[in-house]
Amino acid sequence: MPETTTFPHAPARALRLGVAGPVGVGKSSLIATVCRALADELAIGVITNDIYTDEDARFLRSAGVLDPERIRAVETGACPHTAIRDDVTANLLAAEDLERDFAPLDLVVIESGGDNLTATFSPALVDAQIFVLDVAGGGDVARKGGPGIGRADLLVVNKTDLAPYVGVDVARMVDDASAARDGRDVVALSRTDPASVAALRAWLLGVLERFRAGAHVAQDPGPMAPHFHADEEGRGYLHSHDDPSDGHEHAHAPAR
Amino acid sequence: MTSLPPHPATVALLLADARLPGGGHAHSASLEPALRGGLPPGDVPAWMVGRATTVSLVEAGTAVVAARLLADAGPVAGTHDDQAGDASVARVDARVDALVRAWAARTPSPALRDASRLLGRGYLRVARTLWPDSAAVRVVSRYDAATRGQSTGHPQGTGGLPRPVVLGAICAAAGVAPADVVRLTVYDDAQTAASALLKLEPLDPLAPARWVLDACAAAEEHVLRVAACATPEDVPASGAPLTEGWAEAHAVTTQRLFRA
Repeated sequence: MPETTTFPHAPARALRLGVAGPVGVGKSSLIATVCRALADELAIGVITNDIYTDEDARFLRSAGVLDPERIRAVETGACPHTAIRDDVTANLLAAEDLERDFAPLDLVVIESGGDNLTATFSPALVDAQIFVLDVAGGGDVARKGGPGIGRADLLVVNKTDLAPYVGVDVARMVDDASAARDGRDVVALSRTDPASVAALRAWLLGVLERFRAGAHVAQDPGPMAPHFHADEEGRGYLHSHDDPSDGHEHAHAPAR
Repeated sequence: MTSLPPHPATVALLLADARLPGGGHAHSASLEPALRGGLPPGDVPAWMVGRATTVSLVEAGTAVVAARLLADAGPVAGTHDDQAGDASVARVDARVDALVRAWAARTPSPALRDASRLLGRGYLRVARTLWPDSAAVRVVSRYDAATRGQSTGHPQGTGGLPRPVVLGAICAAAGVAPADVVRLTVYDDAQTAASALLKLEPLDPLAPARWVLDACAAAEEHVLRVAACATPEDVPASGAPLTEGWAEAHAVTTQRLFRA
């Protein structure tokens, strides 16, 4: 696509970026890293979705990477999954308020409450989303798949500096993740490794540029990731359930 | 081919369904503040009956009056693209203003007013998406945009419309009868508390379902009276000072599952 292509409906509002992933993988820390890496060139706001407290919002405020007033917490009624997917109202209103109160913002980051591997953001709430895993959760998690691991716009394998202590081969984990993602972007991140932070920063700026050009289309990882079916000869095929041309049907574990 | 609009009863069911994405799942109908404030869990059934016969009727009366005045606004008055003129718009706005003031005077806790305005915004998204051509919905939509963000010195407080006014607009759009607007409001409040209770206290999930029915039954003797409300002055002024106090304390805690 030529760089000069212009799109008639380029959005005027901030890019809304979701950050999801299980509890403890470093979502808040990643957001602090993003703020630190981009605060000089982008106007950023953050919304946190804690389950019990405003712990994440307070962590980010105390990190000193952003004006504390630009970090807001919303309650999720003990359902962090619902708040980012089935009923995004509270987050959407908070995003509108942040964008109005600190106009013009370039980026609103929405951190989901730590949930499980099935939690993904609705495209009605975010334009792009990062799913975060960490090496301490185990090298095999990327292989286990799930909609976020399989189809988020970016998968981050976080805390790579801990790999030697937890017996995880980072390169192998990234390879597994890339395979599970059909080649979609993966960043192996450590906040103490400047090269990895630069890779995250470059990815985000790329998304922002495409978003501003109107060329970015929000993807829905969906409730079910693409997955592999082996056939009797030991080969198989990858498919997903949102492809209407795929007449294949079979039982999956019921959605929760 | 013309298709019939949904039956008003169906719309009421939709509005009462917690699965409707209007932002309600993050609210506990004052239950979390009450329990954090010291209400013994064993008193929750009586507390639910208390709400159904006091603060729920304030909400219900506000919704009923909103539905009446917005239904009277006529098919086009108060919208941008009509010929009714500024005087008509100003007249409708003045009536909505008076109703919002009446509701605010009966809801003294700023925390509860803020929570209701947040729910009102959520409901407005629902209303605009599902009834985009309704004159009543367009009136509240325009009013909300014009008043949002006004300072706390203004009669509308921080601006925006509280939930019962938006609910009234939806009920006007869908033709929900006044008595059913009252029952819907009471039921929604009770069920919101019942659902939140399961996240806050250990108990058999079917137990609060009984309490919801009991609370709604207790409100029944008030339904026709509240359904007859026609002016802001008619809205019941049955408050619950302890609930207001708990709401204020809850709003400044850092450990909340629910917004209010």
